[in-house]
Amino acid sequence: MRFHLFRRYLRPALVALGLLAALFAAYVVYLDVTIREQFEGKRWALPARVYASPLELYPGRKLTPAQLAQELSELNYRHGALAEPGSYVRESDSIGLHTRGFVFWDGPQPPLRLRVRFEDGRIDEIVNRDTGEAVALARLDPLLIGGIYPAHNEDRVLVKLDEVPPILIKALIAVEDRKFYEHHGLDPRGIARALWANLRAAGAVQGGSTLTQQLVKNFYLTSERTLRRKATEAIMALLLEAHYGKDEILEAYINEIYLGQDGNRAIHGFGLAAQYYFDRPLHQLTLPQAALLVGLVKGPSYYDPRRHPQRALARRNLVLAEMAEQGVIGTAEHLRAKAEPLGVTERAPVGTSAYPAFLGLVQRQLRRDYSDADLRSEGLRIFTTLDPRTQRAAEEALAARLEALEKRRRMPAGTLEGAIVVTEAATGEVLALVGGRRARYEGFNRALDAVRPIGSLVKPALYLTALAQPERYTLATRLDDSPLVWSEPGVKEWAPQNYDKKFHGHVPLHRALAHSYNVAAARLGLELGVPAVLETMRRLGVERSLPAYGSTLLGAVGLTPFEVAQMYQTLAANGFRTPLRAIREVLTPDGVPLKRYSLTVSQAIDPAAAFLVTTALQEVVQSGTGTALHAYLPPALRVAGKTGTTDDLRDSWFAGFTGDKLAVVWIGRDDNQPTGLTGASGALTVWGRMMARLDPEPLEPPVPETIELVPIDAETGLRADRGCAGAVELPFVRGSAPTETAPCASGPGQSIRNWFRRLFER
Amino acid sequence: MRALPALALAAALAACARLPAPTPPETAPPPVASQNSAVVALVTSAREHASAGSLSTAAAELERALRIEPRNAALWHELARLRLHQGQPGQAAQFAQRSNTLAGNDARLRAANWRLIGQARTQSGDHAGAELAFEKAAELEREL
Repeated sequence: MRFHLFRRYLRPALVALGLLAALFAAYVVYLDVTIREQFEGKRWALPARVYASPLELYPGRKLTPAQLAQELSELNYRHGALAEPGSYVRESDSIGLHTRGFVFWDGPQPPLRLRVRFEDGRIDEIVNRDTGEAVALARLDPLLIGGIYPAHNEDRVLVKLDEVPPILIKALIAVEDRKFYEHHGLDPRGIARALWANLRAAGAVQGGSTLTQQLVKNFYLTSERTLRRKATEAIMALLLEAHYGKDEILEAYINEIYLGQDGNRAIHGFGLAAQYYFDRPLHQLTLPQAALLVGLVKGPSYYDPRRHPQRALARRNLVLAEMAEQGVIGTAEHLRAKAEPLGVTERAPVGTSAYPAFLGLVQRQLRRDYSDADLRSEGLRIFTTLDPRTQRAAEEALAARLEALEKRRRMPAGTLEGAIVVTEAATGEVLALVGGRRARYEGFNRALDAVRPIGSLVKPALYLTALAQPERYTLATRLDDSPLVWSEPGVKEWAPQNYDKKFHGHVPLHRALAHSYNVAAARLGLELGVPAVLETMRRLGVERSLPAYGSTLLGAVGLTPFEVAQMYQTLAANGFRTPLRAIREVLTPDGVPLKRYSLTVSQAIDPAAAFLVTTALQEVVQSGTGTALHAYLPPALRVAGKTGTTDDLRDSWFAGFTGDKLAVVWIGRDDNQPTGLTGASGALTVWGRMMARLDPEPLEPPVPETIELVPIDAETGLRADRGCAGAVELPFVRGSAPTETAPCASGPGQSIRNWFRRLFER
Repeated sequence: MRALPALALAAALAACARLPAPTPPETAPPPVASQNSAVVALVTSAREHASAGSLSTAAAELERALRIEPRNAALWHELARLRLHQGQPGQAAQFAQRSNTLAGNDARLRAANWRLIGQARTQSGDHAGAELAFEKAAELEREL
């Protein structure tokens, strides 16, 4: 009977139980694998951090106290006492600052207490306040300009536990999980307490979940609240605790917890939240700010400090009160913190980077050497060439000028678009990149991706090709600017026109370039041969393959602003090509040097020819198509530049350089409709406004040894001397200047002799 | 990093003056021609790093100096020397050429550049080209 019972009921029950247990064990193993994968995946996904170029401080540097103060405030240095790194004070003719320590490529720079004294718009002296010694060179910590994050809108500003202010951790534990360091993932007493509190309040007040449970819940982000879900979470929490230490779990929590929503972008982690709500790095949060973020854990949308400031304030003060009650903060501290306003910035900073266009360039240049996965997960530290001051000037100039141009031309606001590339003339480092007028927003990066006809910007390549043959062409060579019709097989007949719809007869080469005469240029280009001009462009650094049509000579070909910058860079660097670089160095997360992108140069163009073209480009601004620049910059800067305008005024370009900076500006419409702007009335004005703010160095190109200056009579293009009014000194490759003297030249006898000789030689 | 106090700098310069540079790749380096104390500090430090074998740190420092004084022909020459040291004769010659375009009538520096170009060409096996470069150097040295 008993046996029967056993057989009939107990055994199947046991078997069923065994099966259940086995199933449960298998389920736990499955959960274990899942949760560990999640945890490890998150833990190791450290995005690359991208830094701007650090501000170098040294005696003699052009910098005003106001400019330094602005840089410091951009870096979130606090104005006031110098007690801690990251603070500064303004004194009468100097600025005292306490720099933050930072690990650079060539080693760490510890925090320094400095006094920077100014005189006449320059740094006069830097003194170490602690030792009293003069400092030859110091640099500020570089501005963090963004990160390269995993896909699906999950932005992170990952932080290490030791970067988290201790007060925030204490607040978190005090409010969310008092027994965090004691429990094994679950806190039954916490649950009981929460239940009791909720019963009393007849509604959910306390969560009762441990930080570990909350972390698990965040990994899956479902709001499902079934018992089964709870049980699964509880098992996973226990498993996590079994595998990982408290600090590892806490660090993951701090980087994972959901703290807000910005459109379709979820704000995860305290690092990003600090930026999103307070626009400052986590380690700079004050006590009330930390308390607010901790308060948000409970309900980021309900307590949203921007939409519901009253609720948020009450919640923050509750957190502060709890901290005071548990003795985490003192009474005085509590009272002070309670009295503080919320301190949330009015509007959230857009995206994780304020420089999406530049970041796009960095990513492209990095992709040649690193896989996407490495960039998103290896925590690389990337040091770039971005100069925040130049970038600000470029963004401001573009936005302001486009608005003004639209107003003046009665175009609807937002019709015009533009792009800017600014580089350091000598080294090819990219100082600024603007991909559109709304520079803070990620979107079509026109600086890198808008391929637009370059119009007359092509001409320096054409004239370089000519001037590299000094035995055939000089700046004084007369070019023929009379009507021209060109036909070649397979292409429509081509009759280039000048912008003013006139023909100018015979004009000296330098003036043909300065005034951008199309017909003279086209005829010259055909003489030289289109392939020869294309070869020059290739040498200048244009890699795109271009069609060898006659119209190519007048810039019917499309290039991006970035490609144009590369082309002009070679001219600005005296004929030496340097690839435009946005990255200097890559370091591991621990500051170990990984890769350096070193400066390379290669002589691409004969320096003498480059010098001659540069002289003519200076004339463009002095007396040619670019004179409008003098409304922005003094003529003494001797800027070299070129305007570019395309058919029906669809594209407006200006490319040019000073002694230290090169910039290319493009203006046009995304729908490629006419803008009504020439290079001079559009892009040039942006260029001028931007450069005026950057206080550029005058352009004094070094004179190659093969160059001599010869006075030339403007009338005849022949050798002149003091006797000739209106003679200009032009540079020539030695031996290439005209040998014949102009009739006006001194000693009437000589000039008459020459005149006769010419008469007879004819 | 590198907030180099002037005192340490002076000491370093004095040390440089007394001690022969350990196995220089070519002729002894010319004095750092700059009025800018930051540039002098960087070049001094770069030379120390280069002799200690930290070539990429030296390169970073020289490029940093170049950002401060991009038209300083002596700095381009300094980088040319370093590139030769780094086993990049092609780049060494290019930097020396670049230095020459900025050297004006500094015959001493131009001669040094041509000598370096000669060495670079020798390293890359262009002996005829090297000979030409050495001749140019000698010619310039005669003018001194």
